[in-house]
Amino acid sequence: MAATFIVTLREGFEAALLLGIVYTCLEKLSARQHYRWVTLGGALGLAASVLMGVVITLLSGPLLDLGPDLLGVVVIFAAVALLTWHGWWMRGHAVTLSGDVQRRVREAHLTRRLWAVGLIAFTGVFREGAETVLFLWGLVTQAAAGVATWSGFAGGVLGLATAAALGWAVFHGGRRLSLPTFFAVTSAVLLLVAAGLVATGVGRLQGLGVLPHTETLWDTSALLDDASVIGGFASGLVGYRARPTAVEVMGYMIYVLGAGSLFFRWPAAGRAA
Amino acid sequence: MTRVGLALAVLGLAVAGAGALAADAPELAVTIEKNRFQPDEIRVKAGAPFVLVITNRDPGPEEFESKQLRIEKVIPSGKTVRLRMPALKPGVYSFVGEYHEKTAKGRIVAE
Repeated sequence: MAATFIVTLREGFEAALLLGIVYTCLEKLSARQHYRWVTLGGALGLAASVLMGVVITLLSGPLLDLGPDLLGVVVIFAAVALLTWHGWWMRGHAVTLSGDVQRRVREAHLTRRLWAVGLIAFTGVFREGAETVLFLWGLVTQAAAGVATWSGFAGGVLGLATAAALGWAVFHGGRRLSLPTFFAVTSAVLLLVAAGLVATGVGRLQGLGVLPHTETLWDTSALLDDASVIGGFASGLVGYRARPTAVEVMGYMIYVLGAGSLFFRWPAAGRAA
Repeated sequence: MTRVGLALAVLGLAVAGAGALAADAPELAVTIEKNRFQPDEIRVKAGAPFVLVITNRDPGPEEFESKQLRIEKVIPSGKTVRLRMPALKPGVYSFVGEYHEKTAKGRIVAE
């Protein structure tokens, strides 16, 4: 039970974190009426995950050999693009905070772009969704066939519930922060989550043989293994890797520097100039 | 949209190219049964690409995962997946079945 709990907690954590963040963003921008976009995105992500899970079991041959991997890479980089957009978009909102006209402008702006917030929820859920669906499905078939116990499945469901509770905690905690603090913290978190995704995507491309394999830069798996629960959180949150390759570290750094300058352009410095 | 299409095409070509290069790479069969890999130690020649042909004979799916090699691959029940592996430096590369990490463990030894 503990083993299956950890697997789904690890898989569900990133999705829960992203959902918590985008819900809180809407709350902070007094746009609660647009929660439905996030909910819709999340629900569609779940539906797509189930569909993908079914499709994977129907595929065979080269389609099964490569199809899911290519889609996986596309989803990872799509998520990076969306998070980058979100960080940039939040910075714009953090600068224009007061004034009635500004607020109305912001709302119009918000409504037009909200499908993208829904897309963040979609990719967040879909990214590890199909894997999680297949995992739970496997637990059910094995329990039904009598080769495993139902407690394994219960553990899996409990892991997802715990991930959801963590997402809710982010939402609840985020609501209490002042607006500037919230935007600063969220921008930093999104920057690192997206950088971690870049490292994951680059690593996948290395695994697929598209990018060459490079040296492992360091090995901290004895200190904090990324397969452990804490290591899994660190991996989802800041892109921690116990054994990163040179290309992954390069991708991570380039993203942090590039997107960081997009997320955090200090308005005071701009005015002073 | 065109850019996304172009990126996809390039990615597809790159993977197909990598596949073509590995076309005459040796194939090594691995079976998943009772949540274990058989064999659980795979010996390969260092510096030469190879193909893992993994068949899942269990009633449920399994995910072949090697954190070191950045590979995560779901193998549905009853299916066979051909996994193209890069040329490895001499060393030991561990892998697990992520859905049954306690029992499904193995390693690739490149020498």
